[in-house]
Amino acid sequence: MQTTSEKKVIVTEGVTRTYSDNGVAVEAVRGIDLTITSGEFTALVGPSGSGKTTFLNLISGLDKATEGKVWLNNRLLSEMSGTELSDFRRDNIGFIFQAYNLIPVLTVEENIEYIMLLQGVAKHERHKRVVEILKEIGLDGYQDRLPTKLSGGQQQRVAVARAMVSRPAIILADEPTANLDSKTSGELLDMMRDLNAKTGMTFVFSTHDKIVMDRARRLVTLKDGKIEADEIVN
Amino acid sequence: MLRNKRRSVIAGIAIGIGLASLIFVDALIIGMENNMVESATSTFLGEGEIHRDGFRSTEQAELTINRLDWVVSHLKQEKIVRHFTERVMSFGMITSPANVTAINVVGIDPATEKNLSEIDEAMIKGKYFEGGSERDIVIGSELADLLEVGLGDRLVVTVAQAGTGDLSQELFHVSGIYRFNSKELDRGMAFIRISKAQQMLAIGNNVHEIAINFTSTEYGQDQQLPFWKKYSQFGNEAIGWTTILPELKAAFELSEFSIYITGLILFGVVALGIINTLFMSLHERMFEFGVLRAVGTRPFGIGRLIVYEAGALAVISIFLGVILGYVVTYIVSLIGIDYTGIEFVGVTFRRLIYPVLEVRQFIEYPLVVFFLTSLVGLYPAFYAAKMSPAVAMRKSL
Repeated sequence: MQTTSEKKVIVTEGVTRTYSDNGVAVEAVRGIDLTITSGEFTALVGPSGSGKTTFLNLISGLDKATEGKVWLNNRLLSEMSGTELSDFRRDNIGFIFQAYNLIPVLTVEENIEYIMLLQGVAKHERHKRVVEILKEIGLDGYQDRLPTKLSGGQQQRVAVARAMVSRPAIILADEPTANLDSKTSGELLDMMRDLNAKTGMTFVFSTHDKIVMDRARRLVTLKDGKIEADEIVN
Repeated sequence: MLRNKRRSVIAGIAIGIGLASLIFVDALIIGMENNMVESATSTFLGEGEIHRDGFRSTEQAELTINRLDWVVSHLKQEKIVRHFTERVMSFGMITSPANVTAINVVGIDPATEKNLSEIDEAMIKGKYFEGGSERDIVIGSELADLLEVGLGDRLVVTVAQAGTGDLSQELFHVSGIYRFNSKELDRGMAFIRISKAQQMLAIGNNVHEIAINFTSTEYGQDQQLPFWKKYSQFGNEAIGWTTILPELKAAFELSEFSIYITGLILFGVVALGIINTLFMSLHERMFEFGVLRAVGTRPFGIGRLIVYEAGALAVISIFLGVILGYVVTYIVSLIGIDYTGIEFVGVTFRRLIYPVLEVRQFIEYPLVVFFLTSLVGLYPAFYAAKMSPAVAMRKSL
């Protein structure tokens, strides 16, 4: 029997994604079976074109599998409507992107509270949580700044805060260190590992950055859209 | 919208010019209609007329206005009547040593006629019934050319008398020549004194027509005015200019329809601009929309955002359009547009056209622009809402 700490949060069965490239069918992901349990700190690794980002999009419901099934928190994604998927992502998944993707015209606080705004969290509560998480990521007092006034590392920390503030079950990060130097990348990853340990949230990265791989506890290696290796490393 | 201010301003100006054009065209059409009514009614027609039933269609000499004394005495007491004049009208032949042609012979009272028509103002040669000669005749410039006559030359007018149909001929001297730039007036009419016309037609002191000007031009087109009923008795008919000149009324209805068509075309062009602007803005921020969708914004929320942007664009455009429309129309309403001499549906413009500004133009058209702009925004909004987040993020990356 599954314990709470080992709850399956992501399950894929024979997931395939085929694109049409100038009339030629290209299989970006080929029949992947994968299970990720709660609290994991997992990295999907592999060279460019191996299918990491496509697989990340499939397990987050941003893209639809051509074949196979994806369950997130025991919900089958293919059965959900567009609005249900949006609500599900809002409440269950936090995203961290390679280019931070903070909204430039909004302040740090407004960027972080955006998802809570969608969730209908009261203003007082939103502000409280923003202050707490900024303290946690080392950006205490930065809430009124615009993203353009922050360094790349600081912006990505804000992106992490935005992903985590609504307390989702899963954090999906697509190449989160691609635009950062190695020192900042290391600090960011250490911070995320601490948060993972503290909160028990599940982290899944797509990366080919060694800094991320060194800190991941599980490495799933993809090659040509298939799982080549799946190993516990830490 | 603020991300690319120049593009937003250009789009706003384009829509604003469309709105300003609508306001200007509307004001111009009102000015043109007023001008046409004034030209049609003040040239000769009057804003209303009284005849004997059947006279308008037959112009039989014996169909004179019944109970003329009652009609005239009551007209003098009407508060809404500014001026009126009596006329005698008949088909006739006019002959010069060089030519002969059929015309409308109109007997007028020169003193009261001056208040109704503009024959006295349109004189290009000679005088308008000065002195007391019963044999003065005033003709149009085209008729003078046709008959090859000038001032002082002799003309013979022949008409059929009332009742008997006997021909009556009189010799006249050309005392004045006018020009209205209207073929009907310049070529087809000749004016003599009313007493002479009554004598020639053997109708005693009776008349065929009373032309009326009201204290307000509105009365002439108000078909429910009790005035018409009051004077449409004893076998007479009283009618306004909309009945006398139905083609003018139809032309006005056409004008109103044409403003809708103009508006539709203008907005069609502007709509493409709005769609283009919103799509450019959409594609520029495709990744951001993808991110917003990824983090849980519903498709409807994204669509709503685009519609709000279209609405904001509309507000800026309305602001620019209202200012531009007011300034341009106001300036032209001071200067006027010169269409004088041009004939349209039988009416020759005799004065400059001055566009007329109305409060309605600054409420109705901006509202239309706002709703249509928001409506046009639905297409890109729908596109953005249906967009796959993964595709959106991949495109911009």
